[in-house]
Amino acid sequence: MNMESAIAARLDSAYESTVYHLKAGGGGTVLEINDLCLWYGQTQALHHVQMTVEKGLVTALIGPSGCGKSTLLRCINRMNDLVDGLKIKGQIRLNNEDIYNRAADVIALRKRMGMVFQKPNPFPMSIYENVIYPLKVDGVRDKAFLEETCERALRSAALWNEVKDRLDQSALGMSGGQQQRLCIARAIAADPEVLLMDEPCSALDPIATAKIEDLINELAGQYTVVIVTHNMQQAARVSDNTAFMYLGRLIEYGDTEIIFQTPKSPKTQDYVTGRFG
Amino acid sequence: MSAMTETLEASAETVPMSRARARRTDMRSRGEPALWSLGGALAIGILMILGFLVLVLSNGIATFVPKPLRVVTQTDGKVTAGEPFRSEVFKPVPQDVAQLSPEWQEKIKAANGYVDRTLYRLGNFDIYGEDFRWVPEFLVAKVEQPKNLLFIERSEWGPFIGTVKTFKVDGVDQAFSGLDDAKFTQVHEQSRERAQAIRKVERSDIGKVNRALDDGRLALRKIELKDGKDSAAYRAADTRFAAQNVELQRQYQALTEQVQKLREANAKNTLTLVEVGGREKTIDFSGLVRAYAANDLSLGQKIGVYFSRWAEFLVDEPREANTEGGVFPAIFGTAAMTLLMVLVVAPFGVITALYLREYAQQGRLVSFVRISVNNLAGVPSIVYGVFGLGFFAYVVGGSIDSVFFPERLPNPTFGTGGLLWSALTLALLTVPVVIVATEEALAAVPRSMREGSLACGASKWQTIKYIVLPRAMPGVMTGIILAMARGAGEVAPLMLVGVVKLAPQLPVDGTFPFVHLERSFMHLGFHIFDVGFQSRNAEAGKPMVFVTTVLLIALVAIVNATAIVVRSRLKKRFAGSQF
Repeated sequence: MNMESAIAARLDSAYESTVYHLKAGGGGTVLEINDLCLWYGQTQALHHVQMTVEKGLVTALIGPSGCGKSTLLRCINRMNDLVDGLKIKGQIRLNNEDIYNRAADVIALRKRMGMVFQKPNPFPMSIYENVIYPLKVDGVRDKAFLEETCERALRSAALWNEVKDRLDQSALGMSGGQQQRLCIARAIAADPEVLLMDEPCSALDPIATAKIEDLINELAGQYTVVIVTHNMQQAARVSDNTAFMYLGRLIEYGDTEIIFQTPKSPKTQDYVTGRFG
Repeated sequence: MSAMTETLEASAETVPMSRARARRTDMRSRGEPALWSLGGALAIGILMILGFLVLVLSNGIATFVPKPLRVVTQTDGKVTAGEPFRSEVFKPVPQDVAQLSPEWQEKIKAANGYVDRTLYRLGNFDIYGEDFRWVPEFLVAKVEQPKNLLFIERSEWGPFIGTVKTFKVDGVDQAFSGLDDAKFTQVHEQSRERAQAIRKVERSDIGKVNRALDDGRLALRKIELKDGKDSAAYRAADTRFAAQNVELQRQYQALTEQVQKLREANAKNTLTLVEVGGREKTIDFSGLVRAYAANDLSLGQKIGVYFSRWAEFLVDEPREANTEGGVFPAIFGTAAMTLLMVLVVAPFGVITALYLREYAQQGRLVSFVRISVNNLAGVPSIVYGVFGLGFFAYVVGGSIDSVFFPERLPNPTFGTGGLLWSALTLALLTVPVVIVATEEALAAVPRSMREGSLACGASKWQTIKYIVLPRAMPGVMTGIILAMARGAGEVAPLMLVGVVKLAPQLPVDGTFPFVHLERSFMHLGFHIFDVGFQSRNAEAGKPMVFVTTVLLIALVAIVNATAIVVRSRLKKRFAGSQF
């Protein structure tokens, strides 16, 4: 038995003892993840994950590569549906609706969430068309409303002043940081209930990263944000709650300050102090 | 143990040596021979293409240049007048050599029995019965280039080489003073105009009357098929059409008389030509296309003749079994067929590829379909022609005829080769190209784009419509360009499904319903085959083969260039992308 599987066995026996010390946002719970297990073919990637996401707060998912944090995030808006041979057990509830219910409409569900990806992925169209894309696919044709939404989303994404004179130009001509903020504007254009961010700064330089982090801080309160990050300082800077995951298990979940300063679990302690990961 | 240490020590000593040698990488590992063969293959390919282009272009572009005429007097008294066509060395038979003068015998012996000869294009086929004549060098007594010798292009019998003796206007003899004689050119123009008028009346006016007669007959036949010959409806229609036919017959008579009058007027204006041997030939002015004094042309006149020939070639109809005149119907047919083919193959191929790549469950069945599609591209094109004739023309077209045009049977309407069936056959032939190119283009659309769109709440179809297809468009265009190039150059299957040597009507004209998909048409590729290999005199057709080839290449190049411009415009929209 190698070391990893030995650790896994030990963790499995102790999974009940995920440490929780959640900071409440006052707005109640938006997401509820109940006993979520997930398999890619024969490999189990998530083990009995149990957590809730507070409304209006920023929740960070941290952990070493392959710990399942991106997988968990992509479960929330069912992006994993695209993967062949995927099996899921458990429940995710968005505002008390089971999203893996057989009757759930995936497309309608994704409209209630926004997602920002690791690499900026603007569409090959103009800046304006990029921002209003979620509304366009929703069938909104009212021009005044679309323009108003575009401005509001770009202002929220702190991009309006930079692009207001070239809304009709291709989005592909922008810098990487601008492109990522455009993707954020696109994600919040349709007023999502949850904003999912999958390592949004990993392809950006430090200055662009700082801008995005400021933006996340501004969006907090207005939106519920779930952010996956590799960068522990970033998690400490932007999030209210942090979930630490390891080998597909949720080890510790709660107030970011406690996680980084006085973690309750020895595994978390090892990770945040840089002993492994 | 000690032995082992020794070997180790020995090898330790040799290490620096071998490293020093290894610093020079040898040619084989640097891939030098491979590089040479790769570059060589490319060079050979380019040379072959360049050689082909130079051959075709030099011949094709020079064809319409007016060439000088020579009059050769032979030692045996025979006189040959014509355009020198080409020269070569040949070995005359010994009996002929034996009859020559001693100097010539010496000369030929010195050249190992070889001697030059020149091929002359004679013209005057109606008098000589031959188009070309070889004149060996040893028979030449005198070569002249008389300035008054004319090259006269006629609408019948090919060119005439000789001079104008006299011409008649309204039956009165006139003295000929030269080609720029005011009376001569005036009469020529009048006669040509009358000939045009005759053609117009015969083609369009008489054609209209004939069509009306035919429509009446068909309408009557339709009623007969529906109600039977004894019905009241048939009898009523019969009397109605009989009255109509009388009126149409009267119109027909009037038109024929009109034509007859024009013909008679033209017959009064004649011109008598005489060839170098003194034999005469009288033709109507209307049969004279163009005449020039080949040895007395200024540069400007040469250019004028050159371009007027190109203009005739591009906008006129062919004459003389396609070896002369223009190729406009063939250009039109090629373009119309290719356009129709693209209209069919582009949506069909793209939709198929979309399903295969985006929707179909990737598995054995899809792999099998994909392999089959790729194999379709390798089926000989004539097989598609047979399929097109058997399935499209006979089965589909035959059914259309029996349902929609029963009154025309047994004459087929759609039940024979035609523009539509040709386009469909070629669409079938080129659809694998479009499918393969589109599939590759779809596969190259980054996953991040699709995910981004799906995460915005777009359905799969919306993602394909707004993100995937626009992004894949340059690749799709590449496929369509390749399909067009392949389709425009294909000849073999078309010979079975609708291309003809001479089509009386264009597939698009002014009569309802304006686009006649059932009509057979002319095609540049087939024209090359026909002129070059099926005409009375292959040698005479050779220049036309080159010119038509130049035209076909130019047409394909223009079509491709347009498509490439469109594609690069599309590509520009994605410029600056990081992915």
